[in-house]
Amino acid sequence: MRQIDALVLIGTLSTSILAAESSRPRGVGPEYAKFYKSTDSFTCISNPSIKLSPSQINDDYCDCPDGSDEPGTSACTYISTLSPPQPLNAATSKNASLALPGFYCKNKGHTPSYIPHTYVNDGVCDYEICCDGSDEWAGVGSTKCEDKCKEIGKEWRKLDEIRQKSARAALQKKAQLVKEAAALRAGVQSNIGKLQAEIQVQEAKAAELKRVYEEVERRERGKVVKSAGKGSKVTVLAGLAKARVEELRNALTGIVTKRDTLKERVAKLETILATFKEERNPNFNDEGVKRAVQAWEDYAANKGAEADDSAEDRDIESISKPDSESEGINWAEWETEDEESDVEAHLVYKFEEYLPAPVRTWVHQRLTDLRILLIENGILADNANSGSESKAVSDARSAYQTVNDEVGTKQASLGELEADLTKDYGTDDIFRALKDTCVSKDSGEYEYELCWLGGTKQKSKKGGGNTGMGNFVRFDKIYVDEEVGADGKGLGQGERTVLMYENGQHCWNGPNRQTTVVLACAETDEIWKVQEQEKCMYRMDVGTPTVCEKEVRSQGDKASKDEL
Amino acid sequence: MRVSSPPSYQWTALFVLLSAFCTLFTPAVSVKYENFKTCDQAGFCKRNRAYADEAAATSSWKAPFALAPDTLSWKNGQLKGTILKTINTIGETEKRQKGEIELRHNSKVRKERYNEVESWAIVGGLGLSRNAAESRDAEKTTVTYGPDGKFEAVITFAPFGIDFKRDSATQIKFNDRGLINIEQWRPKIDRGVPEKKEGEEETPVPEVPAGEDESTWWDESFGGQTDSKPKGPESVSLDITFPGYEHVFGIPEHAGPLSLRETRGGTGAHTDPYRLYNADVFEYIMDSSMTLYGAIPFMQAQKKDSTVGVFWMNAAETWIDIIKEKEAHNPLSLGIGSKTDTKTHWFSESGLIDVFVFLGPTPKDVTKAYGELTGYTQLPQEFAIAYHQCRWNYNSDEDVKDVDRKMSKHQIPYDVIWLDIEYTDEKKYFTWDPLTFTNPIGMLEQLDKSDRKLVAIIDPHIKNTDNYPVVSELKSKDLAVHNKDGNIYEGWCWPGSSHWIDCFNPAAIKWWIGLFKYSAFTSLPNLFIWNDMNEPSVFNGPETTMPKDNIHHDNWEHRDVHNLNGLTFVNATYQAMLERKKGEIRRPFVLTRSFYAGSQRMGAMWTGDNQANWDHLAAGFPMIINNGISGFPFAGADVGGFFGNPEKDLLTRWYQAGAFYPFFRGHAHIDTRRREPYLAGEPYTGIITQALRLRYALLPAWYTAFHEASVNGTPILRPHYFVYPSDESAFAIDDQFFVGSTGLLAKPVVTEGATSVDIYIPDSEVYYDYFDFEKYQGQGHKTVQAPLEKIPLLMQGGHIIPRKDRPRRSSGLMKWDPYTLVVVLGNEGTASGKLYVDDGETFDYQTGAFIHRSFNFKNGVLASSNLGTKGKLTDKYIKTMKNVGVERVVIVGAPKEWASKASVKVGGAEAGIEFHAEEGGKAAWAVVKNPKVAIGEDWKIEF
Repeated sequence: MRQIDALVLIGTLSTSILAAESSRPRGVGPEYAKFYKSTDSFTCISNPSIKLSPSQINDDYCDCPDGSDEPGTSACTYISTLSPPQPLNAATSKNASLALPGFYCKNKGHTPSYIPHTYVNDGVCDYEICCDGSDEWAGVGSTKCEDKCKEIGKEWRKLDEIRQKSARAALQKKAQLVKEAAALRAGVQSNIGKLQAEIQVQEAKAAELKRVYEEVERRERGKVVKSAGKGSKVTVLAGLAKARVEELRNALTGIVTKRDTLKERVAKLETILATFKEERNPNFNDEGVKRAVQAWEDYAANKGAEADDSAEDRDIESISKPDSESEGINWAEWETEDEESDVEAHLVYKFEEYLPAPVRTWVHQRLTDLRILLIENGILADNANSGSESKAVSDARSAYQTVNDEVGTKQASLGELEADLTKDYGTDDIFRALKDTCVSKDSGEYEYELCWLGGTKQKSKKGGGNTGMGNFVRFDKIYVDEEVGADGKGLGQGERTVLMYENGQHCWNGPNRQTTVVLACAETDEIWKVQEQEKCMYRMDVGTPTVCEKEVRSQGDKASKDEL
Repeated sequence: MRVSSPPSYQWTALFVLLSAFCTLFTPAVSVKYENFKTCDQAGFCKRNRAYADEAAATSSWKAPFALAPDTLSWKNGQLKGTILKTINTIGETEKRQKGEIELRHNSKVRKERYNEVESWAIVGGLGLSRNAAESRDAEKTTVTYGPDGKFEAVITFAPFGIDFKRDSATQIKFNDRGLINIEQWRPKIDRGVPEKKEGEEETPVPEVPAGEDESTWWDESFGGQTDSKPKGPESVSLDITFPGYEHVFGIPEHAGPLSLRETRGGTGAHTDPYRLYNADVFEYIMDSSMTLYGAIPFMQAQKKDSTVGVFWMNAAETWIDIIKEKEAHNPLSLGIGSKTDTKTHWFSESGLIDVFVFLGPTPKDVTKAYGELTGYTQLPQEFAIAYHQCRWNYNSDEDVKDVDRKMSKHQIPYDVIWLDIEYTDEKKYFTWDPLTFTNPIGMLEQLDKSDRKLVAIIDPHIKNTDNYPVVSELKSKDLAVHNKDGNIYEGWCWPGSSHWIDCFNPAAIKWWIGLFKYSAFTSLPNLFIWNDMNEPSVFNGPETTMPKDNIHHDNWEHRDVHNLNGLTFVNATYQAMLERKKGEIRRPFVLTRSFYAGSQRMGAMWTGDNQANWDHLAAGFPMIINNGISGFPFAGADVGGFFGNPEKDLLTRWYQAGAFYPFFRGHAHIDTRRREPYLAGEPYTGIITQALRLRYALLPAWYTAFHEASVNGTPILRPHYFVYPSDESAFAIDDQFFVGSTGLLAKPVVTEGATSVDIYIPDSEVYYDYFDFEKYQGQGHKTVQAPLEKIPLLMQGGHIIPRKDRPRRSSGLMKWDPYTLVVVLGNEGTASGKLYVDDGETFDYQTGAFIHRSFNFKNGVLASSNLGTKGKLTDKYIKTMKNVGVERVVIVGAPKEWASKASVKVGGAEAGIEFHAEEGGKAAWAVVKNPKVAIGEDWKIEF
């Protein structure tokens, strides 16, 4: 268990060292006992040239440049690279390293530990480290720290039991997840095999149909196209044209409606911005707001230059009216079969020439413009050149195309599956097992959600929608140095796996949101903590069995020793 | 008018003004800063400047104010008289004081001039001198007073004027330039052009008398808001000349050099007068006479060997013009004997002319007398002078606890963590956000474990909303500021629609006190308070503050009391924090942004919303020093810069500078990146930690300096002129300073990329580098190396500096640690210093629970002797401190004869001594090991 900074737990002590305990000066740990054995003199541990009398040990005055003569007091704490340099510690301040890791608390009934010397005799019972209260031996300012090791140790062992159990369960869960991931992977692989086989079959079928289609087409090419009936071409065309015009008109009306809706929305937005400009607090020094207001002012200033489009509106309105005898094209004229008029086919395409001159001009112009507009915007297909072909040919082609499309679809699926197989799902492919599952946490005014290798988001309890905090982009590693609570929750110290979620919703006056998801071992998937480390840059500390390793405990111990 | 001059050697003159009249011109000046008025946009400023211009342009100018000799009476050190003014035909007799005037717009405000500044700003020093004597002739009357009758005031009758003399030489002149002006009340004559209706004859409009410009007399508009001015024009003004004085300091708060610039032409002159009108100025600009958050209308003038001062006691908007005139008495003397007169011109929008005069002759005399008058600085809780970690905002109780743990983990000392407005439930003060601060008590308890504190913000705007008992009480008890129509004023601030508590109202103070009881505001004794936005800041108000025609308690107009507003709010909070629970009396700690003369009695101030750039870092010291000599030394600037993200070297230098701010707080805007010291990374975090630990090690010296300030008004950061009032070439220095009486001379780096600084050494004393004892000697500039990790800090020979070297988590946990005494030997081989210690939190020191020692090293003996007088609790306190001793004595500049010494005598015992010979430029030093002497007792160490 590591509770607080600079705490070291000595897991195992040999009995031979314990035997020497009684003779050790206050604050000396068993592994340093050998330096304090002599009753004649004391030699500073890292400065053997300095010899002191044993009475100088723990006399609350610092004699050794490495602090080793004051294992049980705070007298040498000023020797530190973090303290202002001074001639007193000049010899050591450049590479000040104290010989001792801290004040040794025996903590009988619990686990011994080192507490920083700066905590010794400062009037605070630091039971988290020193459950026996021995750090306050001098009782400064009538501080009394009773020995609480018995109860703290008992509680700790109880919790430790749970933690151990939990750690074992976590490892089992992890194994299970690895198994699941492997099964999923196998599933993908088998799907790939299946698809590959299907594609093979379909490709063969497509090749055959293509051959058939080409054959039919070759045959059909020899036939002469005869007109359907005498004098009927113009009427047919008129019918087609009417239908077409109708279609275009409908499209136009649709677009106008859409435009009007958009206009309304722009107007609404402008009102919002105008109010915003009026009501904003100019003292709230927000660069983003300032920029937004400036941009709005520029926009508003330019708005006056906008052309008045009422004339255009009138035109569109008149076009949109249904054709009748008095307005637009009198289709009736054209639809009536006129036996006499055996008009050349090409003339049909110039049907506009038959329109009354004023109508003709604008119809031509408008239709052309409109058509171009619609085509450009992808609303109408540019099928001007599609000639007529026989049913046999089109059937053959469509049969071929259908199968060919199927092949394409399957190949795409195959590509996806293959890509999925090479995608990084972490060590042992383990996150494959968690893909598309999510965990969430209630934290302060937000509820946070983490979807494994998906997205992260936040939902405010004060209303408003979800805010995307990023989408998974890659795995990473970072070094952390955090606490682990008594409940075993917390990142601890060392290198941890990180899931990077980037390009979330853009932050007003900031970057796109992003989340660094830091993982540590736990029995169940759980978001422990969410912090906004910098504006719109979040960190989630998450417990999950996916990153559990055996021997977690000894790793932690090693890390803590390095700390001191 | 009243003129008085503390300390105890004072007399007062009370003059009643019966009538007045003025003529005005209108100069045209362009608008400079968008949100705040220039002089030209403030009617009375424009009028008074024009008045001064007219006087200057008129060769035969005579102030139209005369004292009527027959009205003079002298009794018990008080001179009373009536000043009369010849008036022209339209002038009206001043009937204001009698209330015989009509106000416009049916206003209900008081008719007389505001006369209650005294009740807020003044706490003492008003006793009248028995030694003062008056003698009169036909033209003048002379009052002699002061120590040995050395002071003299010569009052001439016509035109009215006063010369203040010390040792028969004139130091200060009132109305030397004849600019005294008191705008009398007058009825408005409607000369408005009525709307012409078709067919109607034009109605004749009364004409404006020649030479008068009424355009700024009545309604004044600024930024789209109109001030109704029910009393019309009512400004007061006076010119004050300091003959022979080249430098004037003070009148904070402005961003600029300590030595004030001219304002009416000249090198580097400001275009506008120095303005005092407390306002929430964001992104304030450097080197400007523009107003800021606080106002202390106290000015000091400095010439060789003489310091004098004036305190202009008026709380209305005030502007001060400064002119410096050089005159060579003898053109052949080539500058020798030439002297510069500083001429100042003060004008306030309303209220009285009420001026206090300080005749020095030393800077200490002046600041002490000013302190006697307005109060000395509060002796703060000791934690308050340690390091404060602030940010807008720590987002939750967990966030606070996390920062707390990380500071401990990185072994960075800090005492206080702060919460800005976001901790509240939707900006409702006295509440906690139920979602983010779910367990405020748990948070406070964790902090208390390492004796750390929390400061939470409470502002004067009270959210106008439903289901908020605080605002419903404010309204139902009618304790808020009213608008001109007498209804509760409503404006916008952080919470949106808000009302403002009117702390001029005793009932409001009483109510406010109740809000801080633990039962009303969930918290523990380790919570303290930050009062921000108390100018007051009103987002939609004129110049971001309240309309001047708002009405306060007793029907005084806001116009009259504006600059006092911030003080009254802090006063209420101070009262509330004195005793949150019956019997639990603690020294309050309240930080304020707005202040007035007297605010120093109630807490600390900071320089407001600065920016993370080098210019703002550099601006900090002149501002803090200026505040310090103006009676309010508990001052600091936001370390790191509030707006923007500081580069790491800037942040590091700022911490090194901040370690020398009397109020030392890191703070950051909500849009900035997190910047707690442990986030900077190496080498920055390590260097910042060293700076913080330096501050903590020197806390005994800082606390002693605060104690000194609390009993005699001396500043904590002492500028050069203050310590060396004879060294006239260096009076303007404001980027280096001494810390209290410690002899520590600091010049923190405030420029980018600097690797050294030039420190000015004012005397022939020996100086030692604090960190390596490098010697510097000889008057003049010395280059001190200053790579990023080094703070240029010297110790002046002759001082003894008390320190505590053991690093702890907070200042509270250093309480029982032993002292290190650094004896810095001077040229004479002697040194002395002081130490003041008490429990750092209660008022027990007032009944003797303190240790006050004097340390002296002379003739090979270091002795500790008592400076305190015994009180009821003295023995008990000394007993609790009996185990707190001196762990070592470091003697810097130790004589080489000591090389062979192995021990020194401590009473009947001995202690070891270790000698280190001089090496290169570094002084010899010795250390006495563990002398085992108690800090609260008399002892001697013989070398």
